[in-house]
Amino acid sequence: MRNTWKIARWEIMRNLTNKQFIIGLLITPLIMALFIVVPVLLERWNQPAETTYYVVDELGALDVLRDLLPPRVVLVEEEAGANLPDLVRDTKASGFFTLTEDFVNSGQIDLIYNDRNSEGTSALRQGLTALLQHLRLALAEVSPEQLAFVTAPAQVRQIALEEELEPQAMHITVSMVFTLLIFFLVFSSGAMLMQSALQEKRDRMAEVVLSSIPPSTLMQGKIIGHFLLGLIQLGFWLALGLPIALYFLDFSLVEALQAANLPVILFFGLGGYLLFSALFVGLGATMEDLQSAGNSQGMVIMLPMLAFLFIGPVVSNPDGSIAVFASIFPFTSSAIMMMRSGLTAVPLWQMLTSAALLLVTALATMRLAAKIFRVGMLMYGKNATPKEIMRWLRYKENGR
Amino acid sequence: MDGLYVEGITKTYGSARVVDNISFHASQGKILGLLGPNGAGKTTILRMIMGITAPDRGAVFFRHGSVQTKGVPLTEIGYLPEERGLYKEARVMNILLFLAGLKDVPRGEAKRRALQWLRKFDLEGYADKKVEQLSKGMAQKVQFTAAVLHEPKFVVLDEPFSGLDPVSQDVFKAEIKALANAGAAVLLSSHQMNIVEELCDEIFLIYKGREVVQGDLHSIKERYGNLRVDVLTPTGQKPLVDSSLVESGRQLDATRYRYILREGVQPVQFVHSLPADLPVHELVISRPSLHDIFVQVAQGGVEHAEHLEDSPLGNYA
Repeated sequence: MRNTWKIARWEIMRNLTNKQFIIGLLITPLIMALFIVVPVLLERWNQPAETTYYVVDELGALDVLRDLLPPRVVLVEEEAGANLPDLVRDTKASGFFTLTEDFVNSGQIDLIYNDRNSEGTSALRQGLTALLQHLRLALAEVSPEQLAFVTAPAQVRQIALEEELEPQAMHITVSMVFTLLIFFLVFSSGAMLMQSALQEKRDRMAEVVLSSIPPSTLMQGKIIGHFLLGLIQLGFWLALGLPIALYFLDFSLVEALQAANLPVILFFGLGGYLLFSALFVGLGATMEDLQSAGNSQGMVIMLPMLAFLFIGPVVSNPDGSIAVFASIFPFTSSAIMMMRSGLTAVPLWQMLTSAALLLVTALATMRLAAKIFRVGMLMYGKNATPKEIMRWLRYKENGR
Repeated sequence: MDGLYVEGITKTYGSARVVDNISFHASQGKILGLLGPNGAGKTTILRMIMGITAPDRGAVFFRHGSVQTKGVPLTEIGYLPEERGLYKEARVMNILLFLAGLKDVPRGEAKRRALQWLRKFDLEGYADKKVEQLSKGMAQKVQFTAAVLHEPKFVVLDEPFSGLDPVSQDVFKAEIKALANAGAAVLLSSHQMNIVEELCDEIFLIYKGREVVQGDLHSIKERYGNLRVDVLTPTGQKPLVDSSLVESGRQLDATRYRYILREGVQPVQFVHSLPADLPVHELVISRPSLHDIFVQVAQGGVEHAEHLEDSPLGNYA
């Protein structure tokens, strides 16, 4: 165990003093921030603050229409004889229309537009529809009280049959955030682990290191080291991002942590990490370099992505059979169970079955990975074929 | 006796038997040279000793004092593999400390010894340099240091001299001798017999996975190498020699003749047998080199020598 820590410490130090790692550490939050901020800014620039239409009002309903429209849509009244086309062109307004008697009868109205502002148009369409209803009901001599009564929208309250089924918004958000974080940890650490095994081979250091410690120790050290590195990365980003998030999004950290189903998240997060990191480190040992990865190796890399396929079905029906399957199947269970536990009350038997399966699969994968690692780390100059890997799995231990 | 024992190890890859029933013993305080051409099975033997691959048959033992282990004594052994490498982006001192740490050398002590070794190898001032800034020879010195920094009782060096210039070869020879003098059992492999024959206390010649001959250099030469005489005459005149002393003779070039003496014939006997009026410019009486003996014993003919050096590397996959 002491040697495991030495390897873990070496991996951590090696990366923390590596320029690329540090640049990645600093740039990733910048990129994430860009991805969030840029679309918002773009949208803001794209949207003029107000959309202006000129209106000739033959009905005297302009004030009512204004009340029915959002404040961004500005209506300017003009005399019937005005040169509206020129006016619209000169003021760069969006268009003009005339409210006529015929509108009340036929429901038709001509909107002559200057720019095709879809958002303004759709707001206008809704407002005009409501106006039409008002006008027609008024024709039928319906009183304003009756009018309000008739046009009031339905209010639907959702009450779960069983109390524990009631989803809490905080609970859902927190489990989603944790699922994403764990996913990130699996992917970034997995990729780095694979790199690390490849690097050990590229630098021809495997034999030297393995003359001091058994292969299983080297593998465990790498897995633990990169887990801690991942936590350091996450910790750094959380330290950077949490204050900002707390400032802009009004929520309480303590409440969030209480809402999170921490034991479930910790168990399935750790289990998923062990499973996939063993997979990746074993995979790295079978390769000469990333470019030469074969089809079967590429498929293994894609394995953690499998869970993404189930996110849609699980969110729309967290108690359905697809959700139950995905939360028990060990290669998707770590992420999906975390999600499901936030969305619904998962029956205890499913939770336990899933946990047991994940544990058994992770341990078995680590054993197999150790066997592959033992042989693969000492193989130079070529990619292992699936046939060779199968043969390695049958090798027996050689007394260490 | 203390040391490293190899008993009847055999390794087969597919249908090729790359190591066939090899046994030897490297004693502490001595240097054993495992010599043979490329592809003879040397690296496979060393890898089996290091526990990196397992022999199909046979065993390896390590004995030190009253302790005998079958598994590799990981903290007591130093290994310089044939595949040379160091972490490229790491700094020299950090690598040495990391590897010494794996051998349980305390950090302060490791640092002191590392500086001492770097000084020995004229690498002072390179402790904080990155490996990618080193030349190939410098990197090899760092690797050697890493292999012996923990003062191991067993030292296994796979082709320690390959890629070194003659000056560095001498530095390595001196350090390897010092390791043996300090009590380590040193096992080294080489395909360059002329470089190592004088260095080794014991020699194990191997060809195509099989033992050719083993013993100390002197007794091997006594046993297999009859004395050889090269005579240079200015006119190219063929010396008249006593055929009862000579096994064979041939002309090397226009002016030189080589005679192989019969077993038991003393150099003085041969010199006395030469005609007094023979104009001799040079007379060299010597034992054949280890390489010649190897060729003679393993192959039974000089004509195979070229082919032998070019034989392909063994397949380790």
